[in-house]
Amino acid sequence: MGRHRVCSVQELPQGERIIVKLDGRSIGVFNIKGELYALRNSCPHQGAELCKGKLQGMMMPSQPGEYVYGRDGEILRCPWHGWEFDITNGKSVFDPFKCLVKTYDVEVVEGPEEDSPNVETYLVDVEHGFIVVTV
Amino acid sequence: MTNNLTRQIIDCDVHVYPRNADEIKAYLDQPWKHRFNIRKNSYYKKPSSPVALQLGDVPGSDPDLLREQLIKRWGIAHVILFTQGHITANHDPDYSNAVARAYNTWLSETWLGQYNPDGVFKGSIVINHHDPTASAAEIDRWAGHPHMIQVQMDTGARAPFGQRQYQPIYEAAERNGLPIALHPGGESMGINKPTWLGLPSHYTEYYTGFSFAMQSHLVSILTEGIFERFPKLKIVIAEGGVTWLPSLIWRLDQEWKALRSEVPWMKRFPSEYVRDHVRFTTQPMERPEHDEDLLSVLEMMDAENLLMFSSDYPDSDFVSPDDSLPQLPTTWQTKVMYDNARNWYSL
Repeated sequence: MGRHRVCSVQELPQGERIIVKLDGRSIGVFNIKGELYALRNSCPHQGAELCKGKLQGMMMPSQPGEYVYGRDGEILRCPWHGWEFDITNGKSVFDPFKCLVKTYDVEVVEGPEEDSPNVETYLVDVEHGFIVVTV
Repeated sequence: MTNNLTRQIIDCDVHVYPRNADEIKAYLDQPWKHRFNIRKNSYYKKPSSPVALQLGDVPGSDPDLLREQLIKRWGIAHVILFTQGHITANHDPDYSNAVARAYNTWLSETWLGQYNPDGVFKGSIVINHHDPTASAAEIDRWAGHPHMIQVQMDTGARAPFGQRQYQPIYEAAERNGLPIALHPGGESMGINKPTWLGLPSHYTEYYTGFSFAMQSHLVSILTEGIFERFPKLKIVIAEGGVTWLPSLIWRLDQEWKALRSEVPWMKRFPSEYVRDHVRFTTQPMERPEHDEDLLSVLEMMDAENLLMFSSDYPDSDFVSPDDSLPQLPTTWQTKVMYDNARNWYSL
């Protein structure tokens, strides 16, 4: 338990993701349009590596015969069966209150994190801070 | 039998027939009057017929006999009548429309009129769904009738019922507050497609397959968003079987989780639409060896609230109120035999 530095800001540019193991949990960290999100890398359906899925938009609820595309880049599709999850809160699209994936606090901190056991792994050429996930 | 008279029953599927073609011809103009014959299912015939039931020369054509054999015997409050003209099998839409109008007028004049002083008989407006605009007009024509309480849409068709060409029918039914009963009729006959992969060899296969058509139409109606487009529409699955619902709807619910983006107008689980918009008549109920197995499945599908009793009198598949169902839980009995139908049809 605790805060874990996963990489420098420069190592995770917009539109990219990184999958790390923190406290024995596989976690995906995403940079979506400059916002950072961290989700457990396990689909609540059958445990597939959810964070390796495609980041897309979704078809918004609409009237019959209408097609409304939205949330571009904010919907994570599980690579196994295609279940859709909202990257910003981990909730599934089809049943947001009953089917969701664990999310974690993620932040950017300045300077070295002295209490993190993973510091040595990722501490390279940092200029603009580190991405820290709280598990 | 005595205690049967005290219970309340609504029978949601009873068939009535003209004694002869002239009864229908009386309501047809030319050229249809010359062309008309009573269309029977000459493709698939039941190899046995219920002669022992003493139903008269043309079963379901004698109101006194029907009252004696069905209504008085079991103390039935209302019977909901269907005609069985296999109208959608005909190739000429003008002919089919005329015959549908004639059957409805005949039903109104006879069973819902002169045979109906006490209002025990309620009727179904039969439509030629190949012509949805004409169907909507026919629904409008009867909507104010005190005893026409639903629309009859025979499941023999050329396309699944969710497709957009059928929308005028649903619009008219919803606007007039009339449920639509999907009832077997015209399958594989005339211009209609078979609901099997091909044409089956035996009546056994044919009759079992009535449930296939129901499932095909129901999945189409759900996925095409008919209940989103027509949020007050009610559908009755009549004589289409019952216990296939859990497995079908579990599958659809499960697939919808991943596939909802293809049909984004499905805003809720498919099973939720069924609960709000669909009811099932009981006959023919599937009967496994052990009644408790059937009751388990019925409980899974919330049958207490979805089922409405039907006998299918006087057809060869008739079932009696006493023996067609296992002993239902006490709290279900009044609902299945009476309350669900009374509420659904506002009787």
